[in-house]
Amino acid sequence: MALLELKNVSKIYQQGDIKVRALNNLSLTVEQGEFAALVGPSGSGKTTLLNIIGGLDTPSHGTVHLNGDDLTQMDENSLSHYRLMQLGFVFQAYNLVPVLSALENVELVMVLQGRLPAERRKRAMHFLEMVGLQDMINRRPSALSGGQQQRVAVARALAAGPRLVLADEPTANLDSDNATALLDIMHRLSHEEKTTFLFSTHDVRVMARAERIITLRDGSIESDKTVQIQE
Amino acid sequence: MSTRINKLPLATLLQLSWRNLWRHSRRTLITLFSIAAGFALAVFSIGLQDGGHNSMIRNAINMGEGHITIQPSAYLASPANYIFIKNGAGLLADIKKLKLKASFAPRISLRVLASTASNAVGVALEGLDPVNDRRRETLGPKITRGAWLEAGDSRGLLIGTGMARKLKAKVGNKIVIMSGKQDGNTEAQLGRVRGIFKSGVTELDSFLVISDLSFTRKFLVSEGADDVRRPVTRIAVFVDETDDIGFIKKTLTSVIHSDDIVVLDWQEMLPQLVQYIVIDDAFSYVMLVLILIVILFGIVNTVLMSVLERTREFGLLRALGLSKNYLLLLVFFESLLLSLMALVVGWLLGGSIHAYFAHTGIDFSEWLEEGTQIAGTVMDPVIIPELSLDRILQLSGVVFFVTLASGIYPAIKAARITPVQALRT
Repeated sequence: MALLELKNVSKIYQQGDIKVRALNNLSLTVEQGEFAALVGPSGSGKTTLLNIIGGLDTPSHGTVHLNGDDLTQMDENSLSHYRLMQLGFVFQAYNLVPVLSALENVELVMVLQGRLPAERRKRAMHFLEMVGLQDMINRRPSALSGGQQQRVAVARALAAGPRLVLADEPTANLDSDNATALLDIMHRLSHEEKTTFLFSTHDVRVMARAERIITLRDGSIESDKTVQIQE
Repeated sequence: MSTRINKLPLATLLQLSWRNLWRHSRRTLITLFSIAAGFALAVFSIGLQDGGHNSMIRNAINMGEGHITIQPSAYLASPANYIFIKNGAGLLADIKKLKLKASFAPRISLRVLASTASNAVGVALEGLDPVNDRRRETLGPKITRGAWLEAGDSRGLLIGTGMARKLKAKVGNKIVIMSGKQDGNTEAQLGRVRGIFKSGVTELDSFLVISDLSFTRKFLVSEGADDVRRPVTRIAVFVDETDDIGFIKKTLTSVIHSDDIVVLDWQEMLPQLVQYIVIDDAFSYVMLVLILIVILFGIVNTVLMSVLERTREFGLLRALGLSKNYLLLLVFFESLLLSLMALVVGWLLGGSIHAYFAHTGIDFSEWLEEGTQIAGTVMDPVIIPELSLDRILQLSGVVFFVTLASGIYPAIKAARITPVQALRT
């Protein structure tokens, strides 16, 4: 069974009298452990698709299954629980809670998961070390660079032990060095932690690191290619 | 893994709320001190008002008929000179046996005519024990000419300055006191002015004549009373602790087995004063409501602004799995902490001002005459602010709940944020 399975998913927004079809009868499967990129021009439906997979938005038609659970049948509380237990998120910017330190930000999701303090601390330290921020655990987001903030977000996403990490243009606000470093970390952790990554981008550096590139255009999949990464 | 999923522990909620409050420390401080200043103003002004009221009540009680009055039941409606307690000695002996924490002053109050060679006026004649009666403490120091009555002075009279003016009487002058009897005849007794007092209360200074009980009792005897049984028209009761008024009144009522005698507390004796205080309190409550409105908008403004600024952050928290209810609680806790801090700072500020003036008093003598007469009593020119425990709890409770309530709208607004919309901002 595929980790993620979308069948005939459509998303139609009503803007005044006009209906905007953001996703058009889209079907997609993602297997456990994949490191896949959603690419396409602005307005192609990348963020909408990630929002629907992330349980942040609901499709107008079609079904979304993650690990066998149908998201379209879930109420708000179940979706909230689903996001907490099954998913990790890395957004484009403003990923962190400003009043919490890096360590506390990583721990936050585990607090919500109800994990015990000692376990939280141990996992948070482990993942912050894996993203190379072990010396900055007590810094608040305002005292971290954009790249460091995104690395904290990756550590937070993974520390919660998700089945799938969704990243919406994670490198959009980063310079080349930071973007490359972040992708290397995400790629490495994807393999080490056996976690599935699905991220949207139109950054060629990101595409170059992806093992699968799904190209969207006008809400439909234009192409879906598996690529061999040369290490 | 525990079952506390999608929830934030109380400690984390408090920590997050506390840090969020201080994210814009200047804004929080301005709001905090605005609320605290408003609250301090309310504490001080209500303390001052209560101090003024209590001063009036104390003066009314001490210069009047005590905390509790025992008198013939018909007397309040129609204070005729032939209405009296026939066996004053027996009643006094009975209530003294109760060993209550109070002192008892037998008094005879009559409506009589006082005349000198120059004039004649209607007066309230009050006979009392010149040595033990509370009036010695309250009116004794107010004697401006002559002296207080000596024990056993059966002809001595004390009059107020207003009365002295009307009768053109001086210390040592004679005054004839006349009383109409029930049978249509007149009883007259000759008294002599021993002292002239100035209490500041018109009713006392212009209408009260004080004498020894033995002088006044002659009028009751003329109405058929038995002098041996020491008839009185009332017994004024002065309690040691005002908290005991209810208990003592109840005890006295239970031991007096006569339909002809009633036990009244000061509120029943001084309804006009009670009414004045109620109206005055109502005005102060209006002021308090205005202060509360300012406080309410202060908090709504601060917390709402902070909520609107953090729309994306709330979207992030919701996306990460924080439930709607806990997001509501998070924002609500910010109002709660602000309320508690405002309460503490408000009490420190208002309490300090109150404590200072409760020690020194506020001297209004520049604006008020020595005794400003209100509702049949007098307010001291130096007012000492007073705050009872009830008032402290009442003020704290009202401000706390209003400030807490002011956090409800921003909290609901935050909880309504949908992650997908918030993350787009």
